Amino acid sequence: MSRPGFVLEVDERTPPLLVHAGESFRLEQFPLGTRVVYPPDSLPGIRDVDGAIADALLNPLGRKPLPELLHAGMKLTIAFDDLSIPLPPMQSPDIRSRIIEAVLELAAAAGVDDVELVAANALHRRMTPAEIKHIVGDRVFASFFPEHLRNHDAEDRANLLHLGKTKHDEDVEINRRAAESDLIVYVNVNLAAMSGGSKSVAVGLASYKSLRHHHNVHTLRNSRSFNDPPNSAMHHSYDRMQAVLNEHVQIFTVETTVNNDTFPKNLGFLNKREWEWSLKDQASYVAAKRANDLAPAKLRRKIWHNTRAPYGVTGVHAGDPALVHEKTLANIHRQQLTEVNGQSDIAVLGIPYICPYNVNSIMNPILVMCFGLGYLFNMYRNKPIVREGGALIMYHPMPQEFHPVHHPSYIDFFDEVLSETTDPATIEAKYEKQFAEDEWYRHLYRNSYAYHGVHPFYMWYWGAHAMEHLGDVICVGADRKVATRMGFRTASSLADALEMASDTVGRSPSLTYLHTPPMRLADVR
Amino acid sequence: MSLIREIKLVSRRRDWRGRSRTPRSAEQWAPVREPREFPTSWARTRPAKVVREGVQRGVLRPLVWSQTKPTVYGSDRLSGVDGPVIVISNHASHLDTPLILNALPARLSRRTAVGAAADYFFDARWRASLTALVFNAFPIERAGGAKRQKMLAPKLLESGWSVLLFPEGTRSQDGWMKAFRRGAAQLSCQHNVPVVPMAIRGAYGAMPRGRNWPRPGRPRIAIHIGHPLSPKQGETVPAFSGRLSQAVTQLWSEEDLGWWGAMRAAEQGTLQPTTGPQASSWRRVWESTRPLPDKSAKNPVWRR
Repeated sequence: MSRPGFVLEVDERTPPLLVHAGESFRLEQFPLGTRVVYPPDSLPGIRDVDGAIADALLNPLGRKPLPELLHAGMKLTIAFDDLSIPLPPMQSPDIRSRIIEAVLELAAAAGVDDVELVAANALHRRMTPAEIKHIVGDRVFASFFPEHLRNHDAEDRANLLHLGKTKHDEDVEINRRAAESDLIVYVNVNLAAMSGGSKSVAVGLASYKSLRHHHNVHTLRNSRSFNDPPNSAMHHSYDRMQAVLNEHVQIFTVETTVNNDTFPKNLGFLNKREWEWSLKDQASYVAAKRANDLAPAKLRRKIWHNTRAPYGVTGVHAGDPALVHEKTLANIHRQQLTEVNGQSDIAVLGIPYICPYNVNSIMNPILVMCFGLGYLFNMYRNKPIVREGGALIMYHPMPQEFHPVHHPSYIDFFDEVLSETTDPATIEAKYEKQFAEDEWYRHLYRNSYAYHGVHPFYMWYWGAHAMEHLGDVICVGADRKVATRMGFRTASSLADALEMASDTVGRSPSLTYLHTPPMRLADVR
Repeated sequence: MSLIREIKLVSRRRDWRGRSRTPRSAEQWAPVREPREFPTSWARTRPAKVVREGVQRGVLRPLVWSQTKPTVYGSDRLSGVDGPVIVISNHASHLDTPLILNALPARLSRRTAVGAAADYFFDARWRASLTALVFNAFPIERAGGAKRQKMLAPKLLESGWSVLLFPEGTRSQDGWMKAFRRGAAQLSCQHNVPVVPMAIRGAYGAMPRGRNWPRPGRPRIAIHIGHPLSPKQGETVPAFSGRLSQAVTQLWSEEDLGWWGAMRAAEQGTLQPTTGPQASSWRRVWESTRPLPDKSAKNPVWRR
């Protein structure tokens, strides 16, 4: 049986602990008394995944069995999560490919000819054919790409359909093909509690017009946290949109959850608790660390981004999105939830090399902020891990480096917007529209592999709650100029960072280090 | 950071084997380690036997006999016994194994393998190798299932080896005996192998838990060997285990009452329990460490 997550208190026995710092990692000796939040051990994966998929499709929750929903002459759209989850990408075969194949087997048996597959990438960049192939598998790719297997285009006005408004006057506009289908089968992978459920179609297949209603500063500041859907204003908005969708189209969702096997065997020490490292793990650490530090930057990045996670699948559920998502959340909590007793003055985060928006790309400074202050800060239930007015220390080199193809609007956002202000509300009011409607960004989003012009704004908003909550953000090892532009301070070591934080939290602060990855969700009591 | 500094950092708060102690707050989540099977068959090869014979007779016996004053009673009860047998004894000291192996006739001790606690003697490779070589030891899981005993002990008996087991499972905390586990009786019943009961008195006083060298002054130790016992027709494992326990108790009492007195007390059911007085722990230790009287002057004719 897997061990539950727990909070370690650093004592004189505790060896140095692993901290991720971008495309590197290090060992850090934390002060005595530091609390370290470890996620539960990886749950065992389902042995017969194909059997579990078949069972889910034939015995769905709140829907008729899938074969009964399929018939000749119908319009079937299969939408699936894009490459932003899971992280790192899953070793082949990706669970989505196995599900899509199972759905297509049933569709073929029912004589369904009109089948379209759409990657639900919302305002994310289009996926390359190779990336799509990795997700859907060779067989599906060969049969459907490119005519019937496409990326969703949130700027293709002709192929969007406005379905109505919610009771809060929010526009619900999604991919026309999906909206006009007799059935949408949505295939999802869940790595965090924020994903899946009402978010899948309402966000993945939506347009900017629809997304702006929940991806804004007000909503994100009132999502506490967005990984706790009942207390997330963002998810309340998704749910309202889902209600509108339910009036127009039938959605059969297939959600899956994965375990915490984040790194492959050769990096097995990254999945282990440090005091349980064997000699082999220690040797692997030293070898990997030295090789990583000595490798040229380009090669290092390539190696990290070629890492594939050997995730095990912990659950497959299908049927009505709301009912399915309940099961999914339970599985996520089983794998990630760790009870933490009380807040601390300082939280410490190691920011890894990857976040949802830089798969096969560069983790630019805005994404570092988004992952630290947005994603990791918000991995809590009840209350944040750090008290209001406390400090956050995060490890990342934060170089001023952007992927010119994937993140063109990020470059301008960093140069033009952040040089003026870092306040999310001001940025939203003053600059969002201009970037969102910029024709060049639109063109790059639709025809190149660029994130939408508005995307860096959303990334900045992800951190709005943390920015409001925290008294200080200190980045260990970061580029000073870049961090200053973002409104943060830099330190060369943890000791320096603690010294600097003493201005905000005093000389004897309580310290909590969130040991991530693998992902964990802190249940702060 | 240089390679050396990196190595220093990774080895900080770890021992020379690279092991770190589990932080206190993580102790309750320490993984239950599945014991690794330590191979001991090499310790029963001819070269290992030769080395062992040399160490036991040439080093251990002179050492133990020079530091303590062991007296062996009842060796005659083993005349004609060639093994395989299961030897059992009470267990109070690390001296017990060398005492027993040297008290047994050489024809038996040479072909005796010793069941040793896997979690104590087989936790590190160097200790496991040394224990296997010197005592012909094989690992026994004390907690949960006695998996290895089940696997190894029957094989050893089948291949003609005698087996020494301590049915209490561990050394006594205070010198007195604890209830017997039924493993030895079960093994005997299943494989129809006789059991040789033994009782050791004074070993706890000579070298109790926590000491790694005998007390000065050559304390006297008495080793009583009993008649081999076999399960009777239809006798159950619990019943046979009870009989073995009774036999060891009687041998234990022979030290105080003599052979006749102990036998009569056993017949009358008046044997003193070997579990010690129901008293505070210091009094129990006080009694168990009381030096054995030196009986060499009396030397009754029926003792050898």
